[in-house]
Amino acid sequence: MARKMLIDGELSQPNAEEGHYDFDLFVIGAGSGGVRASRFSANYGAKVGICELPFHPISSEVIGGIGGTCVIRGCVPKKILVYGASFRGELEDARNYGWELNEKIDFNWKKLLHKKTEEIVRLNGIYKRLLTNAGVKSYEGEGKIVGPNEVEVTQLDGTKLSYTAKHILIATGSRAQRPDIPGQELAITSDEALSLEELPKRVVILGGGYIAVEFASIWNGMGVAVDLCFRKELPLRGFDDEMRAVVARNLEGRGVNLHPRTSLSEIIKTGDGIKVITDHGEELIADVVMFATGRAPNTKRLNLEAVGVELDQTGAVKVDEYSRTNIPSIWAVGDVTNRMNLTPVALMEGTCFAKTVFGGQPSKPDHKDVPCAVFSIPSLSVVGLSEEQAIEQANGDILVFTSTFNPMKNTISGRQEKTIMKLVVDAETDKVLGASMCGPDSPEIMQGIAVAVKCGATKAQFDSTVGIHPSAAEEFVTMRSVSRRIAGASKPKKTNL
Amino acid sequence: MASSLSATTPSLTFASQTLYTRLSIPLSLSLPLSSSHFLSDPKTLSSLSRHHRGLLSHCHSHSHRHRRAFAARAESENGAEPARPYDFDLFTIGAGSGGVRASRFASNFGASVAVCELPFSTISSDTTGGFGGTCVLRGCVPKKLLVYASKYSHEFEESHGFGWKYDAEPKHDWSTLMSNKNAELQRLTGIYKNILTNAGVMLIEGRGKIVDPHTVDVDGKLYSARHILVSVGGRPFIPEIPGSEYAIDSDAALDLPSKPKKIAIVGGGYIAVEFAGIFNGLITEVHVFIRQKKVLRGFDEEIRDFVAEQMSIRGIEFHTEESPQAIIKSADGSLSLKTNKGTVEGFSHVMFATGRRPNTKNLGLETVGVKMTKNGAIEVDEYSRTSVPSIWAVGDVTDRLNLTPVALMEGGALAKTLFQNEPTKPDYRAVPSAVFSQPPIGQVGLSEEQAIQEYGDVDIFTANFRPLKATLSGLPDRVFMKLVVCAKTNKVLGLHMCGDDAAEIVQGFAVAVKAGLTKADYDATVGIHPTAAEEFVTMRTPTRKIRKTSEEKIDSEAKAPAGV
Repeated sequence: MARKMLIDGELSQPNAEEGHYDFDLFVIGAGSGGVRASRFSANYGAKVGICELPFHPISSEVIGGIGGTCVIRGCVPKKILVYGASFRGELEDARNYGWELNEKIDFNWKKLLHKKTEEIVRLNGIYKRLLTNAGVKSYEGEGKIVGPNEVEVTQLDGTKLSYTAKHILIATGSRAQRPDIPGQELAITSDEALSLEELPKRVVILGGGYIAVEFASIWNGMGVAVDLCFRKELPLRGFDDEMRAVVARNLEGRGVNLHPRTSLSEIIKTGDGIKVITDHGEELIADVVMFATGRAPNTKRLNLEAVGVELDQTGAVKVDEYSRTNIPSIWAVGDVTNRMNLTPVALMEGTCFAKTVFGGQPSKPDHKDVPCAVFSIPSLSVVGLSEEQAIEQANGDILVFTSTFNPMKNTISGRQEKTIMKLVVDAETDKVLGASMCGPDSPEIMQGIAVAVKCGATKAQFDSTVGIHPSAAEEFVTMRSVSRRIAGASKPKKTNL
Repeated sequence: MASSLSATTPSLTFASQTLYTRLSIPLSLSLPLSSSHFLSDPKTLSSLSRHHRGLLSHCHSHSHRHRRAFAARAESENGAEPARPYDFDLFTIGAGSGGVRASRFASNFGASVAVCELPFSTISSDTTGGFGGTCVLRGCVPKKLLVYASKYSHEFEESHGFGWKYDAEPKHDWSTLMSNKNAELQRLTGIYKNILTNAGVMLIEGRGKIVDPHTVDVDGKLYSARHILVSVGGRPFIPEIPGSEYAIDSDAALDLPSKPKKIAIVGGGYIAVEFAGIFNGLITEVHVFIRQKKVLRGFDEEIRDFVAEQMSIRGIEFHTEESPQAIIKSADGSLSLKTNKGTVEGFSHVMFATGRRPNTKNLGLETVGVKMTKNGAIEVDEYSRTSVPSIWAVGDVTDRLNLTPVALMEGGALAKTLFQNEPTKPDYRAVPSAVFSQPPIGQVGLSEEQAIQEYGDVDIFTANFRPLKATLSGLPDRVFMKLVVCAKTNKVLGLHMCGDDAAEIVQGFAVAVKAGLTKADYDATVGIHPTAAEEFVTMRTPTRKIRKTSEEKIDSEAKAPAGV
């Protein structure tokens, strides 16, 4: 197989002429993007080395683990806890379906925690094997860049290994950040929240992003009293405003105390727990305070300044459309580039990198119409443009189709929780620009819709699809009446939700 | 809406039944809207569950002029008949999914419409039915409600693995479920009546019978109509064997006075496997007797194997290649089922899910010369027209593709054809469907076998994995997924899944399959992580490539966790 270095046209023959490098590729960081890039590059015939920090559920500058955030401290453990928390609602709903349950139902957090840890340890092992089976050489230790073609791995015992590589890939991901508030050291981040020794009775969460909302649902489902403080009027900035409102209503409906337009001023340790003082002067007492105030790229200890790799003001590695940094032999994928911080996007970037550099096919990751989900309870999932984005970007009129309904399951369970769906359509081309849904199973439902949206399906094509009855999803193909038409010219003023 | 309607729409009320005589009204006629029957009541709308809202969306009444033009054309086709006024433009017999949809849309398009339906009962017969039809009263809805109820026992088991514990194992109270289910059905049949009334359709309770090509008799009263629509649906069929009077059908199974202790289900179709799951979940001992080797004839072979295996693991016992010969009632009241292979004893109930037959008996169809197939289904052309030009039929009574959304499509198409001057054929390509077995099945397009037959060279992508939830619960649940891809065009011809949420997952993909998208389009779509559905967009290596000459097998790549 010809391995062309397609960006600059330079030929790359790793095993022959380029033999003076130890590796064709050395990857720093074995998370979603790094593992994918390594495996695929090795499959294309490249000689690949990868380094990763030692395993631990809670990350730090010197601790990580093969599998990365997604597997150890993100998607997977989070989803496990969401499953665990969802049972509370299920048990409530079961009663009207004729099930007789004791008043007292016991939830054993330690059991779930133990099983979760078992599962991520198992996955960590699987990832190691994936790399080994692909012929990738793994090193445990902290990687640093020494030169454009040289990395240094500091092992646990302090010994340092040095390797040369034709290409270096930075895939070190990101870590939860803490705001600079007096007493911030008393609070935890999502890393610790996934591994708490004891289930708290009262929690205060600061943040309005998806992590904050997901943990609010998780703890709420486990019977913990939750206060959620966020700066805006609604949580989940960047998502469709109507969906944000529904998520907020559902959180409240299930018992989460929302504190919109609220920041924290101070956190104080007291005999009764941790006292949180908001910027409105309100005092909340909690056993655990969690910050979900954003994540920052892991670029500080990589020694990037030595070789002059450019970072943006957030500390993310700057890359071109092919994930190449300003240093031609150094590349970066995943959260460390802060493009779109999702596992499947890192996978896509890793795949494109391997194709570009070792597969003879220059490939740009396509960040358009990437679907995503928020695993709140019930969940939210979207693909394409929100109504606000569509109006913002529109040349012509936008048609909005919405459907709000009581899911069939609730007709008997009596649960008061509406599902909402929305299609945003370009009036002129009839193309579906965006779809969103808040309700049970929305991430599962949205995946197929995402294929259609990605490929430019029209509303007429949605309409010509027969429904699956009775499902919630069929509503997406039976929306006949326009809820509103927004003229391209009459754009509403920007809200500050 | 009222004001815009009144500006363009001629009025149509029950009092003006004779208004629509043959082109006796000038096209420019515009009368004030004198009745609110046209307008859906928003309060009713908001009180509906999602399921029913699909049937409710409004048709805009902007095309009345077109309707008239088409009517004129239809007239000339039947020019031999003398011009005479009719009571209605459309008389619909049967207010199930197809009949309600056709009637409402016809009315919204400006036609005067009446619909007759039998009185409500949870069990259907020659004299009982109810507004809403099979789907709402004896099919999709009550079935799904029982599926919801029965799924909990599996969820209780799952919950143990996630740290939940109960002092005593949850018990199920059958009567609570039945009374809550029946309250919901009562609510829904009422809503259906409102939907029709609000659309301006006249409701007649009683048994409709066709007297001549333009006349329907409802319990002795005659109604004339320009068009008659037969949408009387189908009913379960129990074969005549000794003791078959002891058997129940799905109508009865949905409304039993008490929970079966041990049930024999005869049949291998979707109704049989759905009820097997329902009763198994509600802790009844379930035996399924099927004539063939496998359940779900017509489905993808691998799906058939997979679902049977998963159901067996959950405790359902399958008796394959066993045909029922007799049901014997013992002195203690229990039932035995005698088959060609032996006798199984001790059943509290024997249920037959051995097919459904169109309700075409005693409708007067023979008298007016409406042709039927040997199964008793009404023969129709692509526009749902019978051999009698003024008589039309939609839904299960035509035995085309017996699904609610298909009846809706047929009813909607018919209303357009008749009253909007827009001759519309229902499109049966890539109609998705689901089986609410446990685990459920969702599918759209061709099975592997159909695709090979039709296209010869196909690539098959499969995934068979343990979902994340099962790794924690420790239960042996698995998920199976399949993509059938045309080797020549790269088009996805079929998509199949058996596993949690399959019905919900397949709907979106049905849009993609219907739109003729390629495997490359699927691959270009980013996954939603962590879901089961993302597997459909991350299938990189074909499991096998089937070529006319030889079958080339490729070992599938072990599924990498998280798809990395």
